[in-house]
This record gives sequence, structure tokens and C-alpha cells, in this order.
Amino acid sequence: MKILDLIQISQSNLVRSKLRTSLTILAVFIGTFTISITNGVGNGVNAYINKELGNVGVNNAFVVQNNSSRSSPLANEVVKYDPEQKTGMFNTTLVSNSDISKIENIKNVVKVTPHYVPRIDYVTTNSDKYQAAAQSYIAGLNLDMASGRALNTESNDEITIPIRYISPLGFSQASNAIGKKLTVGYKDSKNIQIEKTLTIVGVQQESILGSATLYIAPNLAEQIQLDQTAGISSIAGTYESLLVEFDKNLPKKDADALRQVLLANKYTAQTIQDRIGTFSKIINGILMGLNIFGIIALLVAAFGIVNTLLMAVNERTSEIGLMKALGANSRTVFGIFSLEAASIGFWGALIGIGASMAVGTVVNRYAAHNFLKDFVGFNLLEFPLVSSVAILVGIVVLAFLAGTLPSIKASRLDPIKALRYE
Amino acid sequence: MSNILQTINVTKIYENGVDTPALSDISLTIKKGESVAIIGKSGSGKSTLMHILATLDRPTSGSLIVDNIDATKFSSKDLDNLRNQKFGFVFQQFFLNGRNTCLENVMLPLVIGGVSKKERQRKAKEILAAVGLSAQINQKANNLSGGQKQRLCLARALVTDPQIIFADEPTGNLDTENGKIVIELLFRLQKEKGITLIIVTHDPDLSKLCDRSILIKDGRIVGENS
Repeated sequence: MKILDLIQISQSNLVRSKLRTSLTILAVFIGTFTISITNGVGNGVNAYINKELGNVGVNNAFVVQNNSSRSSPLANEVVKYDPEQKTGMFNTTLVSNSDISKIENIKNVVKVTPHYVPRIDYVTTNSDKYQAAAQSYIAGLNLDMASGRALNTESNDEITIPIRYISPLGFSQASNAIGKKLTVGYKDSKNIQIEKTLTIVGVQQESILGSATLYIAPNLAEQIQLDQTAGISSIAGTYESLLVEFDKNLPKKDADALRQVLLANKYTAQTIQDRIGTFSKIINGILMGLNIFGIIALLVAAFGIVNTLLMAVNERTSEIGLMKALGANSRTVFGIFSLEAASIGFWGALIGIGASMAVGTVVNRYAAHNFLKDFVGFNLLEFPLVSSVAILVGIVVLAFLAGTLPSIKASRLDPIKALRYE
Repeated sequence: MSNILQTINVTKIYENGVDTPALSDISLTIKKGESVAIIGKSGSGKSTLMHILATLDRPTSGSLIVDNIDATKFSSKDLDNLRNQKFGFVFQQFFLNGRNTCLENVMLPLVIGGVSKKERQRKAKEILAAVGLSAQINQKANNLSGGQKQRLCLARALVTDPQIIFADEPTGNLDTENGKIVIELLFRLQKEKGITLIIVTHDPDLSKLCDRSILIKDGRIVGENS
């Protein structure tokens, strides 16, 4: 029998018991829809994260924190006191100037600078005051700018702000803020209010990658920190983290070796990409969990296919007998039924993928005007052709495998007995 | 005239604990173009004999010679091809696909045989005209009367231009009048096309129309008359 006739026969058999077939296709549809949606979210989030990661721009530095053991409220063990260790926020162990000189001596390290996260109280354009968080800008870090530019690290009176501050600070749009003055207020160690007036040079696009803080020049950040620790020797010269730079052209192998040395010296060492990548790992973990529901739904659907086809084989016993009497070989009969099974998978998967794409388009459009309004270029759901085709093929294969048992049963029918069957 | 079917000492024993063979030591010869009735009571073994002659079943021992070739040595694939291309079948219960059209039902053996779409439509329409069903080509088989259904079965059996037609109680489900029409048609086409006809029946009137009859009882040939 010709393959085209085989397909045609299996398709017309498919619509013989419409309700039964529809319900089985519905089961496949539900599983496919779930998997396609979760993959769509995974693809959307990861595509966005990868795009942002590619934009980070700093790939020759580790963010280093102290990883010495210390007794925390969460730890199970009680650790001996070490007078050299300094305690920071959340009971973390701080890094100090002695750590800087120690790390500077490690091979391949070019430069070690403290990463300042000064505690500022407010920002204002001379009307209402707003709370804000700031950190020192790392030279070369590519921030996605809605307007303006990243600041010059040598310039102590520049600042960039997240786009969400535009409206509260009284600007009608991002470009209006460029060149305007912004006052930053903080208290020094003697609780005296200090204000710095800076120039807004850039407005950062909203991003999941931590563009929610203000960026100021490292020297300014250092100065604020000095003001805030002056006279308090217990925390002066300590930092939450260090930026350890290495040569831009250092081979990856050596960079990994450097990381291992840092780890061996009880530091954590993450690239900026690593820190951000954690987010995508969490997202992927959640999506994997959701995918399991889809896979369970598909396994149930697979048993539905087995059931549907076993019923079909029983109903069509005499028909199978006739075909075999008229010279159809076992392979033809197997083909007719397994193609029917594969078709159930194919149609269920096709409708499921199509529906998920339709839902994705609607959700993306809604999100773009609502909760993701400020995340330019972030499509919550993305359906790359490759991954949709992979889902389709996977489900067709699953359906085919589910169909093998009934198909083998059909192909082994003895024509004489089948023709006697009524 | 040359032989088209020959059995040599064919015995069939079913492996279900029954000691008596379904067929024992059957040797017969059927010539090309002949019409032969296999008659006997139910349980006599006449259906088993037809199944073996039609290669739907294999004998336990003995040989079946089809067109001078020993078919018992054929692979099941060869047997499938043999049935598809050289044999036609007419059954008492019709075994039509009721939701398909007459044309589709008739084309089935050609579809199985891998004949091109154009060719099989041409052949099917031609044979449907020969059995007088030209007007019903696109009707669903379910909508036909009993007599029309059996004529449709004749068309399906004849569409491949077979050498042999096996008819198993072809009038069993028909009233006398329709039975007569179908049988007349069957014999007319058989003679026109020079086809060998093997009819299994317990109807003595039908067997009288054949060139000769073979009487089966308890799995043995007990008589033959021409």
C-alpha cells in the first residue's frame, strides 16, 4: 500500500468515532498546552535574561565576598570567635583592607576595589523627598538606558537614576531629566544630615537585573562611606564585597583557576553574570516543576490513546480481517493503526501549541501595557520555532509509542478468525 | 486446459485438543476457468478447505499448488501478494465498509495493492458498470439493498482481474430473487472473463449451476459429480 493511502485511511478512521477521538485529542491538547506555555515562559524569561547578560559588559571581574564560617542564626554549629572577622549586615562576614592586599597578591589579579553600597536616605529635586538605594558604578557595566548615558567613573557629580523615579521627581519624560540637578541626602556617623547635589546624566531602563538602584561614581560612594564610618573604627575599612578585576584577555581556564584560588581562600567569587544567572536558575527550576504537570497530563493522554485504539481494533476486527484477506500485510495494518495514534498526538499537539501561542500573544500584549511596561524588550512568552517543533515531534513520537500495543494486536489478527468475528 | 489449483494430500489439524483432523488427505485438481462447488454440511470442513485453497490458512501437511507453484513454500508476504493480485473474495456477510462509498469499497483491493489513484478509479468505475451499480458510485454502501450489496462485493472481487474467485455462501444473506440475480451475474462475468470460480455452499440449486461439485464430509472428499 502506498504511504499516502495509508495516511488517508488512518485520517478517515480518525473521524469515525468523533467523540471518542475528540476526547483523546483533548487530553493530548491539555498536556501540550501546559508544556508549551511553561516552555514559552522559560524561553521568554531566558531570552530576556540572556539579552541583558550579554549587555552587562563587565566580564573580567569577580564580585568577591568573605565566606569564612561564622555562627549565624541559621547555622547548626557554634564557631570559635575570630577577632579579625568583622560582621556586616545580616550577620555576614565583611571584607577589609587586609583582604584587599591579600587578594592583590594572587596571580592574574589586576585590580581590587571595594564595591560601595552607601546608605543614602533620600533623593529630591527640591520638592518631595523619596527613599532610594545607591551603589557605585562599575566601569564598563552596560546599563540599558532609556535616555542619556552611563556615568563617567571619574566624575564625582554625576548620577544615573531608574526610570521609575522620573514621574515622582516631577519630570514628564526620561529625556527631560537629563542635565537636571538631583540632591542626594545621607547622614554621617555623627547623625548630621549631608546633601550632595549631582547632575542626572542618564535614566536606566527598568530591568530585572538590578537597575533599580541609583548609580554614583566609586569615588563619591567611597566618600559617603567614609563620612558614615568616620570615628567608628570597628567598621571603618570594611566592605560587603570587593570587585576583583583580571586581564580582559585572560583565558577562561585561568579565570576559572583564579576563582578556585579565591574559593580556597574562603572567599566567594562570582562574575556579575553568575549573580544574575542565579535568577534564571530559579525561574528554570520553577518551570521544570510546572513541566512535570504537563508531562503527567501527556502520560495520562498516552494511556487514553492506547484505550481509544484498543477499542478501535475491537470494533474493526472484521474490517482488519477483510483487508488481510485481500492481501494487506501485517505491516500495512500496523501502519494504519500506528498512524492513527500518531495523528491523535499530532492534532492534539498542533492545537495545543497553536492555543498556547494565541494565549501567549494576548498575555504578551497585556503585559507590555501593564506589569512589564517598563521592561522594554521583555516578552513574557516566546515560542521559538525549534522548541515548538521539538514539542510537536516529541508528542507525536509518544503517541506513536502508545499506539504500538494496539497496532501490534491489530497486525497479528488472524484473518479467518477476524472474518468470523461479528 | 491447465490446472490452476491443486492440493496434494492436504491435512489440517487444529491444535485445540480435538483428535479428528478438520481435513484429511485431500487431493483435488481445479482447472483454469472451471466453476467448482464445495458442498457439505456445516462442520464438514468445507470452509477450512476453502481457506486453505485461498491461502488464508496453511495446511498441517500436504501441498497446495497454485499456477504450478508450490504455495505452501511461500512467505506470508508472497501469499499476501498472491491473494491481492490473483484471488477475489465474495463473502456471505459482505464485509463492506458501510460509511464508505461504493467506489471506495470497490477500490480497496487496488489501494492495498498500491495501484495509482487514476488507474484504480478507472478500473473500479468500469467494474461497477459491469455489475449495474453505475448510478450508485458515490452512495454510501450502507444505503444499498442486500442484492446491491452483494453485487458491490462481486465488483470488489473482480476489480483486480483475478484468476480465481472464492465465494463463501454468496447467496446466504439474500432472498431468492436477489440471490438469483447475483448468481446469474457471477456466472456471466466468470465465463466472460474466464475466471475460475470456487463456491462454498450448502445450497444444492447453486451447486448444480457449477461445472462440478465436490462433496465434503468429516474432512474428507466423499463424492464428486459433474
